[in-house]
Amino acid sequence: MASNFRGCCGSPDHGLNRRAFLGAAAATGGAFAANMTILNVLKNPLLADEIKRQEKRVILLWLAGGASQLETWDPKPGRPTGGPFRAIDTNVPGIRISELMPRLAQRQQHTAIIRSLNTKNADHGGGTELMETGRPREAGLTYPDLGAILARELGRADSPVPDYVSMYTSTEGRHKGGPGFLGARYAPMFLDKGLAPENIQRLDSISDLDHQQRGELRDLLSARFARARESNAIGSQNSAYGRVRGLMASEKLFDLSQEPDSVRAKYGPTQFAEQVIVARRLIEAGTPFVKVARAWWDSHGQNFETHLELVTELDHVMSTLLDDLAERGLLEKTLVITLGEFGRTPQINPSLGRDHFASAWSASLSGCGVKGGTVFGKTDDDGIKVAEGEVGAEALFATIFTALGIDHQKNYRLGSRPIPLTNPGTQPIHEVLA
Amino acid sequence: MNADPTALKAVKQIDHAGIFFGLARVPGTGRVFVGCSDSKVYTVDMAAEKPEWTELAGHESYVTSAALAGSFAVTGAYDGKLIWWNSETLQPVRKVDAHAKWIRGVAASRDGRFLASVSDDMLCKIWNAQTGDLIHTLAGHQPVTPHHYPSMLFACSFSPDAKFLATADKVGHVVVWDVATGQQLAAIETPLMYTWDPKQRRHSIGGVRSLAFSADARLLAIGGTGQINNVDHLEALARIEVFDWQAGKRTIEHAGDKHKGLVERLEFSPAGDWLVSAGGDHEGFVKFLSLADGKVLHQEKAPMHIHDFELNEAGDALYAAGHGKLVRFEFKPPAPFVPESPALPDENA
Repeated sequence: MASNFRGCCGSPDHGLNRRAFLGAAAATGGAFAANMTILNVLKNPLLADEIKRQEKRVILLWLAGGASQLETWDPKPGRPTGGPFRAIDTNVPGIRISELMPRLAQRQQHTAIIRSLNTKNADHGGGTELMETGRPREAGLTYPDLGAILARELGRADSPVPDYVSMYTSTEGRHKGGPGFLGARYAPMFLDKGLAPENIQRLDSISDLDHQQRGELRDLLSARFARARESNAIGSQNSAYGRVRGLMASEKLFDLSQEPDSVRAKYGPTQFAEQVIVARRLIEAGTPFVKVARAWWDSHGQNFETHLELVTELDHVMSTLLDDLAERGLLEKTLVITLGEFGRTPQINPSLGRDHFASAWSASLSGCGVKGGTVFGKTDDDGIKVAEGEVGAEALFATIFTALGIDHQKNYRLGSRPIPLTNPGTQPIHEVLA
Repeated sequence: MNADPTALKAVKQIDHAGIFFGLARVPGTGRVFVGCSDSKVYTVDMAAEKPEWTELAGHESYVTSAALAGSFAVTGAYDGKLIWWNSETLQPVRKVDAHAKWIRGVAASRDGRFLASVSDDMLCKIWNAQTGDLIHTLAGHQPVTPHHYPSMLFACSFSPDAKFLATADKVGHVVVWDVATGQQLAAIETPLMYTWDPKQRRHSIGGVRSLAFSADARLLAIGGTGQINNVDHLEALARIEVFDWQAGKRTIEHAGDKHKGLVERLEFSPAGDWLVSAGGDHEGFVKFLSLADGKVLHQEKAPMHIHDFELNEAGDALYAAGHGKLVRFEFKPPAPFVPESPALPDENA
């Protein structure tokens, strides 16, 4: 399938290499924006689109274990399956969500709700893999997850910050995800112990000046070495080294003490809140994809008490995030997703729990590329089946890619085999796209 | 004389599509008022040969609790409302917007003068059960858990003489109040009934779900569940602690030995020699503890997770409400053995 960078004959060989262009552009540093030559180049619509896409970011709030659609985006008050929570009006006429989300209800103009996911896999492992990669497992092929794809599509080769950060500190259901056939370059920086990555601090025994001078010496020697040789391995080595130095320089992005107390107070004191602040700091600094896993929603017993805790937290933290992004002018460039591996059964079990359910559940998209204040799809009165607009994981992923300006039918190549981002015939959910 | 707990037997079971959370029985009868997940209150005579449901509408969410106060049945619901019903005409007498959040429980004093309600607004309110006037608002429970999540005020119970009222919350904090003055008299902590998982699943479960005073008001029984390893489920053993609350001394710690889940209801036997509890997880149980030594006198699986029950005045029948069922238990000693055929003649005779 065609990429955006084919030449006039349609061959990608004649297209301007996106990474080469952006790498060169970025190398001009602060002069970039003021350089009229480059601004003229932007008149080329393909390049303008590319630059625009480069600014796009994603924060995935991964509701690990499976949040209940009935206690979040698709309430069924008064039905036998509905549970005790009421539905409340939002600031968008006609859209009602659970009373556990009063703050998000007042920000509904930013959010599109998809109520008609039928992903058919209600197993934690299988559901997680499906909803991380957007497609069923295929023998002999390891697909990249959403973060890896977006790191590749939205990341910059010369970026000083990581382009895929994944936070998962709870131990239950922890799944690292990964780049699959895209290779280790797009693997996540995986934070499973705390807010900050380990071992990226400069050693205390080395001063800032020493550190800088050692880097310059290395660059000099490396350049001299490379001049006499032609090898992809040398470039890769330098690239990796540059990224490590970039990661070291990004240490402060993970340091919450750098954030004003007033902002931290707005988000609240929980670990999830702190992780979302770090996510915002990262995307503000240019990281294209950050996943914050809030585990664990698997409420087989006491579903309502569990959701009273977790949805209350989600409502507070996510609404604060949307406000924060909007105030910083980042919301229109940042897609905030809530998603998990599945939803929960409409039936309420004797422990007052809800079990695994993948037949009719919900996700939300807010911000970048999304037609906020919309609802797509419908479940039946008791939430047992999708009544209208059934979609699966691939359509959701096609929607995410499209919202970010990425051609969802674009091919990657594994050897000679073309592998499209979403399988042929998959359509994005146009109704929720801006 | 008390019934024999080992003779407990389910003698009648009435099925329903809903979940029953609260039960109140009209004294001297088999008629009960029950609160249901379908937002309705039902009344049914469980002693009748063919019990018939009568539906009372007025609440707008799960009806979680019911209490009899004189001629009134009072129900509380997650809609924050209390409704007084005439227990004979079944007409609503009064509807009070009692709490800002879910009402988790109501209790009436045995003399019918007082009604207490507890809610997730973390307030207990004492009402004149006959007039509906608010007498005291009791604030003794933190609205937020130590882990920054909303707390819940689950249970309340009067002492039989109506001098004391106990309330209990999610983190295992129990308060005993002076009903006349509204002053706090004592606080008891039962931290093992609250589980916060900081590592695997990062949320909480549990809480104190049931309270009962002994006949002399000296003992306070507290029910919930133990520490849970996997907070996805009610997988810990049902837990009971009994305190001499004025002395601040725990007299019984029953960490459970068989049945899992929550102790949803507790009641002392009329003679004060045992304590009966019921609750469950995916299944239900009824359990009897000896007050003399805290040992299990008898326990058995119930037909459903039991959310509420009442012993009758004689202490020989137990009316239970729970997941999709009402069940009447009786303490029926086994019939004396009667041989089918005459004994063989004594060969030596």
